[in-house]
Amino acid sequence: MIALLLAAPLLAAAPQAEAPTGFAGTAAGRAPQVEIAWNRLYDWDEVYGLLDRLAARWPDLLSFEVIGQSSEGRDLRVYTLNDPATGAPETKPAMWIDGNVHGNEVQGGEAVVYAAWYLLENRDSNERVRALVDGSAFYLLPMVNPDGRASWFRDGHSPHSSRTGRHPWDSDRDGLVDEDEANDLDGDGSIVQMRKYVPGEGTHRISADDPRILERVPANDRGIRGDWILLGSEGLDDDGDGRVNEDGVGGYDMNRAWPSLWRAGHVQYGAGPYPLYWPETRAIASFILDHPNIAGVQSFHNAGGMILRGPGAKDFGDYPRADVRVYDSIGQDGERMLPFYRYMVIWKDLYTVYGGFVTWTYEGLGIVSFTNELWTNSRLFPDESDSSRRSGSADRHFFDDNLLMGAGFVDWHPYEHPLYGPIEIGGFRKDVGRVPPSFLIEEMLHRNALFALKHAAEMPAVRVDSVTVEDLGAGLWAVDAVFRNDRLIPTRTARAAEKRVGRPDAFTIAGPDLEVLAGGVRTDRFRPERVELVEREPARIVSESGVPGRGEVRVRWFVRGAGPVTVGWTGEKARDASATVPLGD
Amino acid sequence: MPILASLLLAALPAAQDPAVELLDHGALTQRLQRLAREHDTVELEEIGRSRGGRAIHALRIASGDAGDGRPALLVVANLDGPQVFSSGVALRLAERLAADADEGVAELLATTAVLLVPRANPDAAEARFAAPLREAVATGAGVDTDRDGREGEDGPADVDGDGRITHMRVPDPEGTWTADPADPRATVEADAAKGQPGRWKLVVEGRDADGDEEASEDPAADAVVNRNFPAGWREHDASAGAFPGGEPAARALMDHVLAHPEIAAVLTWGELDSLVEPPRAASKEDGREIPWPGVMKADAPRLAEVARRYRELVPEGAKGSGQDAGSFQRWIYQERGLPSLAAVLWDVPLDAKPPAPEEPEEPGEPGAEGDDGAAGEPAEARAKKKPDAEPSDDAKRLIWIDGAGEDEAWRFVPWTPFEHPELGPVEVGGFAPYARTEPPRDRWDAIADEQLAFVVALGGMLPRLALAECTARALGEDVWEVEVAVTNDALLPLATAAGLRARTVRPARLRLQLADGDALLAGRPQVLVDALDGAGARRVERWLVRTNDPAGLSVQLDTDGAGRAAATPEVQR
Repeated sequence: MIALLLAAPLLAAAPQAEAPTGFAGTAAGRAPQVEIAWNRLYDWDEVYGLLDRLAARWPDLLSFEVIGQSSEGRDLRVYTLNDPATGAPETKPAMWIDGNVHGNEVQGGEAVVYAAWYLLENRDSNERVRALVDGSAFYLLPMVNPDGRASWFRDGHSPHSSRTGRHPWDSDRDGLVDEDEANDLDGDGSIVQMRKYVPGEGTHRISADDPRILERVPANDRGIRGDWILLGSEGLDDDGDGRVNEDGVGGYDMNRAWPSLWRAGHVQYGAGPYPLYWPETRAIASFILDHPNIAGVQSFHNAGGMILRGPGAKDFGDYPRADVRVYDSIGQDGERMLPFYRYMVIWKDLYTVYGGFVTWTYEGLGIVSFTNELWTNSRLFPDESDSSRRSGSADRHFFDDNLLMGAGFVDWHPYEHPLYGPIEIGGFRKDVGRVPPSFLIEEMLHRNALFALKHAAEMPAVRVDSVTVEDLGAGLWAVDAVFRNDRLIPTRTARAAEKRVGRPDAFTIAGPDLEVLAGGVRTDRFRPERVELVEREPARIVSESGVPGRGEVRVRWFVRGAGPVTVGWTGEKARDASATVPLGD
Repeated sequence: MPILASLLLAALPAAQDPAVELLDHGALTQRLQRLAREHDTVELEEIGRSRGGRAIHALRIASGDAGDGRPALLVVANLDGPQVFSSGVALRLAERLAADADEGVAELLATTAVLLVPRANPDAAEARFAAPLREAVATGAGVDTDRDGREGEDGPADVDGDGRITHMRVPDPEGTWTADPADPRATVEADAAKGQPGRWKLVVEGRDADGDEEASEDPAADAVVNRNFPAGWREHDASAGAFPGGEPAARALMDHVLAHPEIAAVLTWGELDSLVEPPRAASKEDGREIPWPGVMKADAPRLAEVARRYRELVPEGAKGSGQDAGSFQRWIYQERGLPSLAAVLWDVPLDAKPPAPEEPEEPGEPGAEGDDGAAGEPAEARAKKKPDAEPSDDAKRLIWIDGAGEDEAWRFVPWTPFEHPELGPVEVGGFAPYARTEPPRDRWDAIADEQLAFVVALGGMLPRLALAECTARALGEDVWEVEVAVTNDALLPLATAAGLRARTVRPARLRLQLADGDALLAGRPQVLVDALDGAGARRVERWLVRTNDPAGLSVQLDTDGAGRAAATPEVQR
């Protein structure tokens, strides 16, 4: 292959050849070629439907493979976005983007679709998008947990339920499986709260500000008596064991199921009996292990407005400093791209997670990986300075009353409960709190998708910056090559190098009439004789540390011969690079 | 026909051919199939396929119904690749149980299910029946061990063509190995702290296929099945595999355990031991991991008692070796909470007495004479013999081999100078494949008999819950206090402390059955009993019931693997 330093100018020239089409992302931009309403969330089959529409419009660029089935038998589709004209996906660094591992964290799925849509719509009209698509591949899994998503849409749920997959699981260990799911008593699709009026005997009272809000009676008794008790989430004691909603379908966490720093269920809730036990996780791990070209990972979750990286647990210690610099750079840019989002370390700033997905892809596989927690209620009132207005009930009601006309709240209404007698049911609906209101969805998707694309644009790209030949006389030559990575992410992260993950990089030299006598990586820019000569096989210098981000590796070879020589770099996480120069003349 | 088969087996004379046989995959499979065909008590199941595509079989041996709540004992053999002998013992065990030879066996099969995986690692075992002969330890996912960008390009090979893959001593100034002064045939790590120079690199016999001056340093397979389980799994260690359960054989075994919640204890035959050297109470229990074979304090006495009974039945049991991290045995205890009983069927004994001192020539022969570099060293070593110069374990093993006569001489291949095609002059030799796992043939049947006796005894130690003293006492005209005791007279508890911690052993379910029109005045209709110690432990439950017919009430007890029971109250007016 011809050196990339020659190819680069061609790339810049090509897109101007025909009239630009597509969606430019500016206000007076052209209409998109595939119109998608980005102001709503889609059921699991509709998500595939959106991607199918994109694949129908851009059949050369987008295709999918089924990597396995969910517990309930839904296909797990990984879409590959790649331009075969610029190379097979395996030859390029690839960005993995998934969403919706927690069934209720639905908008991760739309964010994955949005990323594909944005790239495809703008590829022909935007040079930078074009370069990104030409130089990379994207592996897109919109739903890790389509079963949980389907249930969240179909069944009665709260914003927090349907997080699990749907593999049968005896959560209360009574020998019966999934026999006491939450019950949508009023059949409105949301699991809300139950309260009961018990004059003078309650723990709560109606707020003076808003009759819909219950507030706890102060603990220091000044004669104030509550009139209400809270009875938890809408439900029945289906199995008559004295507990309500304690054994719903599933009851585990597919983001606690990954091999690195995995801990059994008594330490980490939801881990399963062994790592990758759930079929979804197993299929994904196989895919990722089979694609060592994956050089960036984003896993979209909700909610809270976070850009998360590992470690997931204090036990791990710290990530290597060189990798933290990469993380910090991308994460801090992310904070600017995503107002109200904070760049955080999982265990330190959120909570301990053993066996998380992005901690496996980094700690196990050495891939720079983020989890974004999409949406935060802070966005309801965009005044970051006023922290008191974050998510108080009164503010949520103000927002709901004035901007949603009350659509997000189920007003308290009476219900005759078989155990509790006359009660009231009410509360915020399942699609309020963890997902944005309709009119704010598009912005959330755009900012997060573009953050993932920024991450992708920092995947390593190696080029031969220069090749210099020095005549040492008597047919001996010194060949100096500079291999440069303009991107932030190194070809091998410090973690990958330290743990010897995957295949090491190699710097090569070859020629039809060439004998390679010695060679090594130079350690001093100004003193060419400082070379770490390799012990054997100088024509193929293996490197565990690879080419650093925004940096270079200088290699010096001593050769005998004549004619053209080709120097090259090869590795798992960037396209191979090479350049050919003559010896002499 | 079961009876005929058992008669035949019993009638076979204990001639020089032992009843324990070592069979390759095809032959073993046929025998297992025949066993299942000929005996109603034996069911054969394929629980998975190995990485090499071989079926992994499991037997269930029991009389009576499956799924009657009885405890099961899982016996796993040949999970460690070189322990092929253990699968011979497993087959023998299966045949003896199927033959239903004596009262003890009949009692075991009537009350317990024996789940047997005779060969958990069929890929590794096949090496025992192939040429050249070698011990297959790693059979799983390969990595680029020597980090040269090529994977699995330099594996073991029979360079000297003697039909076995042994070891090579490669003279190297950077080598860290040297001869044991006590017996120069034994190779020990040089003690750099005492200024002792290393003489050799010690490597598996092989070529230097990739020309990097290292022999057999990048074999095709790296993952070891019994390091591929989650408890203590060593990420990024090539022998641990890509992820826990990444080796199909490991995953099949875990799934088999998960599919059988009735398993009350697990016995393994392999490299690890928890019976000859019984488990200690771990010093810290708050920690998330308890290093094997450490157990939780509350479990230590009962497990030590099991081990004591084992040693009574198996007086010459061997100690363990090998790595516990990522082992099945550790997973079973730490994460499944089951008693994990690990036995080493045999190893070359370490306690053989050296020959009388007036025969000073002996330690030097025969291998060391060919060892030019070592010439003169034995005498020198003897001369400055200090009390603390304890012979290495390998030297002790050589004492036993030397004393065991010609039949056992195959176990050690004398170090022999060899001109290696890439590395130049080396020595080839050391312990022969399977030298440390296959006992002398005259011990084979005795070892199998001892293990059978232990399996029968162990069946009697598994938790068995019963109901006792079920009474209904009148409190009023139609109000009754119903009381029942749940008891466990077996040695082992319903759940170990580890099982309670891991929440993996499902509680016993105690239900009071009411008739139509009865009312429960106090108590829960179903009580979950998660903890019940062994050795006569009791737990009493009470209910208040309004009923006109107290004799019509009944109490039912249901467990996954500690039996079932029902009782009707004795009415006390």
